[in-house]
Amino acid sequence: MGFLQIASAHKAYQTPEGTLVRALDDITINVRSNEFLTLLGPSGCGKTTLLKTIAGFEDLDGGDLILEGRSLKAVPAHRRPFNTVFQNYALFPHMNVSQNIAYGLDVAGVKKAERDRRVGEALEMVGLAGYGGRKPSQLSGGQQQRVALARSLVLKPRVLLLDEPLSALDRKMRETMQIELKNLQNSVGITFIFVTHDQEEALAMSDRIAVLSHGKVQQLGSPNDVYDTPANEFVANFVGTSNLFSGRIVENDAARGLVTIETANGRRLIASGRDFANGSAVKMVLRPEHLRLVDTGEFEGAGTLEGQVKDVIFVGSVIHVHVDVGFGRTAIVHHHHDRAGIRNAIEAGANVRIAYSPSSAHLIAAERG
Amino acid sequence: MNRILSSFKIFPSVFNIYGFLFLAFLYMPLALIVLYSFNANPINIAVWTGFTFDWYRTIFGGAAVETTFDSAFSESPQRIFEVVKNSFLVAVSAATIATVIGTATAIALARYKFFGKRFYQTLLLLPILIPDIVLGIALLVFFVGVGFELGLLTIIIGHVTFLSSYVFVVVSARLAGMDTTLEQASADLGAGPFTTFRRVTLPQIMPGVVGGFLLAFIISLDDVVITYFIAGVGSQTLPLFILAMMRRGLRPQITALAVLILVFSFVVATVGLLLRNRKS
Repeated sequence: MGFLQIASAHKAYQTPEGTLVRALDDITINVRSNEFLTLLGPSGCGKTTLLKTIAGFEDLDGGDLILEGRSLKAVPAHRRPFNTVFQNYALFPHMNVSQNIAYGLDVAGVKKAERDRRVGEALEMVGLAGYGGRKPSQLSGGQQQRVALARSLVLKPRVLLLDEPLSALDRKMRETMQIELKNLQNSVGITFIFVTHDQEEALAMSDRIAVLSHGKVQQLGSPNDVYDTPANEFVANFVGTSNLFSGRIVENDAARGLVTIETANGRRLIASGRDFANGSAVKMVLRPEHLRLVDTGEFEGAGTLEGQVKDVIFVGSVIHVHVDVGFGRTAIVHHHHDRAGIRNAIEAGANVRIAYSPSSAHLIAAERG
Repeated sequence: MNRILSSFKIFPSVFNIYGFLFLAFLYMPLALIVLYSFNANPINIAVWTGFTFDWYRTIFGGAAVETTFDSAFSESPQRIFEVVKNSFLVAVSAATIATVIGTATAIALARYKFFGKRFYQTLLLLPILIPDIVLGIALLVFFVGVGFELGLLTIIIGHVTFLSSYVFVVVSARLAGMDTTLEQASADLGAGPFTTFRRVTLPQIMPGVVGGFLLAFIISLDDVVITYFIAGVGSQTLPLFILAMMRRGLRPQITALAVLILVFSFVVATVGLLLRNRKS
């Protein structure tokens, strides 16, 4: 089947307070060869635990890990063809950069001439040629990060595991490293499994994203899938910003593929959708960038909402307009502006109309409870 | 207002004086013994009669004991050399064995989970707290009970029992400060447990291991109470030897010996500190 199968992985912890935490609760992912897979989720969602069990630092309570048909359950960490880039890099402080990178080759018994050649190549690859003699403590965070990458990649692992490797870097450096990592993954052709809590990072770099929460896979798909068609409320809220409106389907216009939902207080909203029967409880997801502030009037075919501006937040490229739409909900609109004049025309207290294309509204089944 | 300000000015000088007095209290006796070790007066060491190297020369054999006034009370260089040799043999052996045991135990307790770990940890600290005299008697009873002939070997075994605890404490502190992901990284890069220990863990905790060894070495070197109980007839160590000399009164040669021990301890402590600072 897959290249690396994570087959209904289970792991639970007993906290010191005595409660049982299901860090991994029946996780199944088929990791593809040469893909950039991101495990995305908030802290405590199980993503790091999953990475550690793949690396072999922790055992599974149940389920299996299968690499090309061979179970890895009985294989200790040092015999798995995987390498890890640690969150704090974990460079050996008593060795210089070259010795750090050569460590795995040395342990594997690679001859000195071959070792030196490959260490040189690895340094070249991460742009640190000439830094071999330095100690890790003499390098910047970004440079240490590259050494950690080189130390792992020099062993040509089947899978490279990355545990929030960019979280310790500042924003600019992080953006540079995101591009570098993605390019590196393309050029070396190794499967990357990348753990992060940063959804922007996940969207920017991944071929596929597995969104995790409470030890379960909430959604597994391409960045576009996860962003445009979130599988549930958790994914809609965690990945990007969402305006969520709950309601019940009251009209189903199958010919035009439009449904109308009615909120608890009787407001009617339209959305594209065919998969829901009349009467079913749904949540409508509207991304802030799909909402437009428009003049009052009728808009053929568009969904509309009226409300009063509560806050206007200028963030540079867009303005975030928080609109009280009346039924205890606030809609967030990312309003694009081309001139300061238009920007200034939107003020708190103003009555505005919001329009959206029904096709940009995504419906998810409302969860019980 | 002025009063408050001026009292702030007075306080530092009061503290300075207090600090000076405290240091004087600590170091005056040591300064005095160094001074008296060069005092030519053979009868009363507290009365200065002139400068001499004689007492040091008697220790190193530079002056025959018989030629000095204090000959009746002095020991021969051969005898001193023998007890110093005993002391070093005991201290080096006991500290080495204790370092191996203490380090291995510290690693086991820091890295592995097993039944009764906390209990074991407490037991390990007890030898430091148990009064020396109790430990000495207990060891004597044990050695006599199992039929061990008292000698250097029993002193070494006795010292290892409590020195292991000291090494354990020092190495544990170092291990607690070590980043455990380094060991994971080593395993991740393909190194088995032994290679990881030799190439990652040991270099990281080396300052602690060396520090533990030096501490054990110094404690063993000047232990009197425990050694007194478990030393055999022909196996005197330097501290026991000095204690025996003291029975005939505080002679100048003893002050010279004491100063030599002081200098040696100082050198060992300095080396230990230098090693520690270089690593961290």
